[in-house]
Amino acid sequence: MTAAPAIVGLGITEVGKVYDRTARDFAADAVRRACADAGISTGELDGLLVLPGLSDDLDLGLAEDLGVRDLKLLNEIRGDGTSACTAITFACLAIGSGMAGMVACVFADAPLRRDRRAGAAYTPQEPPAGFDGLIADAGLAGGHAQYALATRRHMAAFGTTSEQLGAIAVAQRAWARGNPLAQQRDPMTLADHQNSRLIADPLRLLDCCLVSNGGIAVIVASASRARALAQPPVHVLGHAQSHPIHPEGRGSGFGLVSGAARSGPAALRMAGATIEDVGVAELYDCFTFAVLLTLEDYGFCAKGEGGPFVEEGRLLPGAGRLAVNTGGGQLSGYYLWGMTPVAEAVIQARGAGGDRQADDHELVMVSGNGGVLHHHSTLVLGA
Amino acid sequence: MVLRDDRSAPFFDAARRAELVVRHCTGCGELAAPRVRACPTCSATALDWAPVSGAGTLVSWTVLRDRAGGVTAVGGIVELAEGPWLRVRLAADPETLEAGLAVAVAFEHQDDGEPVPVFVPRERAEEGVDGRR
Repeated sequence: MTAAPAIVGLGITEVGKVYDRTARDFAADAVRRACADAGISTGELDGLLVLPGLSDDLDLGLAEDLGVRDLKLLNEIRGDGTSACTAITFACLAIGSGMAGMVACVFADAPLRRDRRAGAAYTPQEPPAGFDGLIADAGLAGGHAQYALATRRHMAAFGTTSEQLGAIAVAQRAWARGNPLAQQRDPMTLADHQNSRLIADPLRLLDCCLVSNGGIAVIVASASRARALAQPPVHVLGHAQSHPIHPEGRGSGFGLVSGAARSGPAALRMAGATIEDVGVAELYDCFTFAVLLTLEDYGFCAKGEGGPFVEEGRLLPGAGRLAVNTGGGQLSGYYLWGMTPVAEAVIQARGAGGDRQADDHELVMVSGNGGVLHHHSTLVLGA
Repeated sequence: MVLRDDRSAPFFDAARRAELVVRHCTGCGELAAPRVRACPTCSATALDWAPVSGAGTLVSWTVLRDRAGGVTAVGGIVELAEGPWLRVRLAADPETLEAGLAVAVAFEHQDDGEPVPVFVPRERAEEGVDGRR
């Protein structure tokens, strides 16, 4: 029996177009739900890691909102899309060192407002001066444009196609149909994807993630305490990060390889596992391309073969042994940054996926991706 | 309209002379993109400026569209002949863009802002974007 710390509680608030609640309110709600799920009172927490999104109201004051006192660990974790896997990693390290024993990690955000379109939340406002001004003038300031540049480079290098990206979107929509929390559950065909409007060529609307309000918390505890709690423990068997920070010049790996190429194998080594052992992969999917690149970089297929690996329905539910983004991911489920894949990984590892439960869920791999493929974090979870 | 700040002032001073400059590491001699604060090769921070030819090749590109499908911007990554990358506006028919396309800089002069380096396919470069280079 492993001595690795475990995720013992999971709390997910209402997610999606849920208006008139603040990120801080969602965060407190998520932590209380996670504690209830674990079968503990909030007063039993002695650590709290707070993961803000775009909203600026979520900070260390959350501890007071929760009424938890005398914490031994209280910090914000800011790592873009890597923050969820990273916070869980630090929670494990704090537990391993004896610094804390029962740590909540919570992400919440409320970028959606009634009075503006979803995309506006993530659109840069006033153009900056200097070099950033040149980037904005070229139309390249937004995340969608920067991921489009990465995607186009992969296409040019390896022949990856929009239809292959579409196969990822279609498969995740099919998975989302089994997830009651998913925001998008209407059937999607490859033609729907190909007919969706171009946002930043080659990326279409259905290559892009959703925008969501909501909060998710997980509780991390030592292996010994985990055994006495309400849920089957989901052990954190491996964790790693990698931040390649490709230089902007000749020979750069931008769009061709991400931090996943080092982070994934390192986390698997720590878990004493190989890529063949992984039955479920919950991969950060701000855009379809991020899934394709992470599949390659983790080694589920060879470099450059992500396109053929995902096409012809190979990622559809039940199509193969490997189940990918089983809750619909950020594309069709909901977008709560790195907590979207983490939450689904915990559900799958517990065997609590219901209609969407993967058969082989002994080892679950989770990715977090931040910046424009600049930052990567990985967890390997197991029962 | 693009405005200068302290850090970009030497870059735009050169652009006003229709000269494209990048960072040059005084430690290892490597060239780097104009926006870097430290040499990506040796991490040194003693950087000066060096002129480059303005010729390059297209690494990647994107065409941004509005909700009605109209093109709002064409931008890409250009690899200069000397090695550094620039993320820039492209003055080209989107249908003609491909990886490795030969491009060259032209400076687009705007009424109030700084001259903006725009890259055009090299066979068109001789003509310039707005009649001047």
